[in-house]
Amino acid sequence: MKNDPDNHARAGLSRSEAERLNCSGHKRTMNWMLASFFAKLRAGHGQPYRRLCTQLAALVIACGVAAPVAAETVLRTRLNSDILSSDPGTRRDENTDAVILHVVEGLVASRENGSVGPLLAESWTVSQGGRTYTFKLRQGVVFHNGAPLTADDVVWSLRRYLKPETRWRCRLEFAKDGIAQILSITAPNPQTVIITLNRAAPLFLKTLARADCGGTGILQRASVGPNGVWRKPIGTGPFMFGAWQRNQFIDLVRFPRYAALPGPRDGNTGGKHALVDRIRFLVIPDSSAALTALERGSLDILDALAPSDLVLMRGRGDIKLDMAPTLDFYAILFQTNDPLLRDARIRRAIALTLDTAGLTKAVTQGTARPDNSPIPSASPYYGPTETLRRPDLAAARRLLNEAGYHGQPISLITNRRYPQMFDIAVLVQAMAAEAGIDLEIETLDWASQFARYGSGSYQAMSFAVSAKLDPSFNFGLLIGDKTRDPRKVWGSPEAQKLLRQTMETDDPRQRQALFNTLNTAFMREVPAIILFNTTHIAAFRANVTGYKGWPAAQLRLWNVGFSGMR
Amino acid sequence: MLSYIAKRLLLAIPTLLLVAVAVFLLIRLIPGDPAQVMLGEGADAASLAALHHDMGLDHPLPVQFAAWFGHALSGDLGHSIVTGEPVASMILQRFQLTAIIVLVAVLLATLIAVVAGLVAAWRRDSIIDLAVVGSASIVLAVPSFWLGLVLLLVFGLKFGWLPVVGYVPFSESAAQAALFLILPIVTLTLTQSGVLTRMMRASSIDVLRQEYITHARAKGLAERVVLSRHVFPNAFAPTLTLVGLSLGHLLGGIAVLETVFTLPGLGRLMVDSILARDYPVVQGCLLFTAFVYVVVNLLIDICYPLLDPRVTTQ
Amino acid sequence: MTGPAIHRLPLNAILGTALVGLLVAAILIGLFWMPYGPIAIDLDHPLAPPSWAHWFGTDQFGRDVLSRAMLGARISTSIALGTVVVAISTGTCVGLITGFLRGWTDRLLMAASDAILAFPGILLALALIAVLGSSRSSIILALSIAYLPSVARVVRSAVLSIREREYIEASRVAGDGTIYIVLRHVLPNALPPVVVLATSLFGWVVLAESALSFLGVGVPPPAPSWGNMLSDARPYMEAANWLSIVPGFCIMGTVLGVNLLGDALRDWLDPRGET
Repeated sequence: MKNDPDNHARAGLSRSEAERLNCSGHKRTMNWMLASFFAKLRAGHGQPYRRLCTQLAALVIACGVAAPVAAETVLRTRLNSDILSSDPGTRRDENTDAVILHVVEGLVASRENGSVGPLLAESWTVSQGGRTYTFKLRQGVVFHNGAPLTADDVVWSLRRYLKPETRWRCRLEFAKDGIAQILSITAPNPQTVIITLNRAAPLFLKTLARADCGGTGILQRASVGPNGVWRKPIGTGPFMFGAWQRNQFIDLVRFPRYAALPGPRDGNTGGKHALVDRIRFLVIPDSSAALTALERGSLDILDALAPSDLVLMRGRGDIKLDMAPTLDFYAILFQTNDPLLRDARIRRAIALTLDTAGLTKAVTQGTARPDNSPIPSASPYYGPTETLRRPDLAAARRLLNEAGYHGQPISLITNRRYPQMFDIAVLVQAMAAEAGIDLEIETLDWASQFARYGSGSYQAMSFAVSAKLDPSFNFGLLIGDKTRDPRKVWGSPEAQKLLRQTMETDDPRQRQALFNTLNTAFMREVPAIILFNTTHIAAFRANVTGYKGWPAAQLRLWNVGFSGMR
Repeated sequence: MLSYIAKRLLLAIPTLLLVAVAVFLLIRLIPGDPAQVMLGEGADAASLAALHHDMGLDHPLPVQFAAWFGHALSGDLGHSIVTGEPVASMILQRFQLTAIIVLVAVLLATLIAVVAGLVAAWRRDSIIDLAVVGSASIVLAVPSFWLGLVLLLVFGLKFGWLPVVGYVPFSESAAQAALFLILPIVTLTLTQSGVLTRMMRASSIDVLRQEYITHARAKGLAERVVLSRHVFPNAFAPTLTLVGLSLGHLLGGIAVLETVFTLPGLGRLMVDSILARDYPVVQGCLLFTAFVYVVVNLLIDICYPLLDPRVTTQ
Repeated sequence: MTGPAIHRLPLNAILGTALVGLLVAAILIGLFWMPYGPIAIDLDHPLAPPSWAHWFGTDQFGRDVLSRAMLGARISTSIALGTVVVAISTGTCVGLITGFLRGWTDRLLMAASDAILAFPGILLALALIAVLGSSRSSIILALSIAYLPSVARVVRSAVLSIREREYIEASRVAGDGTIYIVLRHVLPNALPPVVVLATSLFGWVVLAESALSFLGVGVPPPAPSWGNMLSDARPYMEAANWLSIVPGFCIMGTVLGVNLLGDALRDWLDPRGET
């Protein structure tokens, strides 16, 4: 049990705040009231509130003194940058998604193996040739403000997401050009929701479950103010959204009335339990500072460690490590319209100079799995066609000769924000130089590089793609019509056709065959060189229990607690 | 005196105007699109356009500048396009912290510089002088972030005396906040004291050679009195000017230290917003720091005649 | 009474020359010979501690730290020297013009230099490099712009005092043209403080370049600057401390050496300390 005052001090709490929170820990239900009250105060409601606040704090301290109580348990973790908003799937990045998915839940959610499982929906049926989905809601689910979950809330939430002014990231997936257009959302009774699509879409549920869509989290109406302005997420998740001090910390508070599913935790679904009273996400941009904090015990969990940090963390009695292979990839992208790189022989020659295994080992300290295929090695679709390319300098030189390459410089863009992208560029440059290929590294800041990625104005760039739960999403980032979307690297019409086919069927064997064909073509044409799938590394204090990484690489702090707890 | 201040403030207007235009143009010249960065790898053209509209980036540049500058004149610096917070309150909140660090560090550094520089000049070429000049030259030569990191490793981690991350605002607990600020202040004090000590020593040597010092000594004044009454005020003026002039560089340099010590200060805000292309925040911050620079230098110039009777404000 | 002065050894000159000599030697030797290829990777021997084979150890890609430090000496010096040359030459021109002509040109140029001085220097350089792209020349240009006003101010104040001297008046009476007076009389007399400033500037630039590397906009690989090496060594500060100690001491030694040499130069140019 973490109840010494020193701990509160290290968590960055003042003494009085710590006492106040101890007291609220005594009466759990007060937590929500207090959290919302203080959140309101922090939003800046002026003087009268502030006075009230002091009085209230005094009162709470008094109650803390009167009744000795069990100390509040706080799990402290780190974000490398602040969340962008608390509105699911709108103004977002990976940090935002990770925090919000503790608070809101969707009808369905991703499982560990990339498939989709029930969450707020107890079950569903698909009819009319895959165009109608009928969801039956789970009984007894309550929102953070005490209101019960009804079909009405689901209809309201989904309709809100589909309004253009909500700026939901995944809105266009359900519009005309997306995976399928949503024609109607209705609630025939309080426990049933019916969604009708304009065509069959096997990826429909997977898209709803996507983390970057905010898991299509179902919200209570009070999340939005009377004038339509976003307030804060009132969801059904194991934690409630607490105080948010911009650029300092976000607090999530245990939701005592959370209706957990039975069984073990599975991805974003399964049995989710809030084991600590509060999670504090501290915003610490500097990774060395964060490491030092973990070593000192000022943080309990630190996830997304750089492999270079492992040197320090290995073999320490007070710190444990967790490694989980993820579904992302690091790659060198080529501009296949470039006068020089249009020639597939030059691209293949560059690929042939690379010792993928050695490079992966050096860049990731041996933590990542080398992989030349867009299908991540942790995916169930990773199969026999996914072999590593063997470095062959003689073959590379031959190809270069045939293509008429004589040492013309090729620019390779990278950045210093993501150290692994930078290291890859350095090693690729050194390895390609052995076959006489002159790669000139251009270091940009991330925003500039990203703009070049968006406009396609580059020759080669070191890049990474975040974890995607289906290989179609991975291939989808690479394949597309380059004239309409300059971000795509692979414009081949056959590839586009194959990709479309992978999205139109949900038969695993058929999809496997399609992915195999795609991968073989990818290895031949080399529109990009995939190098490895990372391993998500988390380090935590030895007294932290229950942490487990998973292929989506998204931080989950439910079912995580401290040893020796009740 | 008042007319002098008014005149100086008027003279500052073209400088600030130049800064405003330069900042606006410079930041727009940097390639990169804040909307694109925010939306990430899977964003489509329609949501990009919508976000551009939200951010007000769909108007022509002159229109954007006029709108921003017009509002800035009335004290409204706009809202961050990344977080939506009002820029003015972001700046004020962050500046409190930066100002505390810079003020305390500069004050300490000046104190060290005055004492060390004066004594070194007074006992020129002695062992003390050698020690002062030597250590000043060495701290001057250390990259500040390296010094910060080494201090952090030694005092934060090896000895565990001081906290390493997280920051408690002064409003919550002054004692805790002070604990977090010790290392950054020490680092900044060390790096600043190098320059200032050398300056103080040089100008003290200069002053010690003046005739009036010889006169004062001839009158039989004690050395202590000569140093404090005559040498110090005259030698201190150039040091003070140096403090003012290096303020701009100081506010930039602190960005590095705030990154090392994870402090939510103004410097880090500027670096982060330049990298995120958060135009209103960059513009607001740089205009603000320019304003601070002008005001501080004005204050120093006003203090000048108080120190050096030879300089008048006329 | 100036206290018992020990015999005045030009200690700063000796130490400064020694340190700068070391730097020059490292650069010169590096032009012809280095223990290993400074950009040659050896993925089988990463993070090897100092040994007979690698005097200063190897980095995370097995590159020899001594060789890299030698190449880094060349890169860091070229950036610092480039910046000093550009900033000093343009700054001197601006200072001469504003100081000698006075009037509107003076006011305008001084307002502009004030505007630049009011910018946080590193951040100005950071933004400029983001515009220009990070290459050695754009780093030189960005740092030159950031430091130019300081040079202009020093020159201007020197010129302001020189133009009141009798020999200027005499030259003017003799019918010499403005340009002739500036080149013949003003410039040579304004030069000593500029030379001293140049040595300090060298040190500032080496430090500023390392800060820029730390913020992620240093020179692009494969050739490293010391600042680059130092900021790359951050993750290994505890586990492989030689990676940060080597470039750290290189930077310290160089800045210290050049500053000491500057001090010695000032003593020599201006033995009675009049400027």
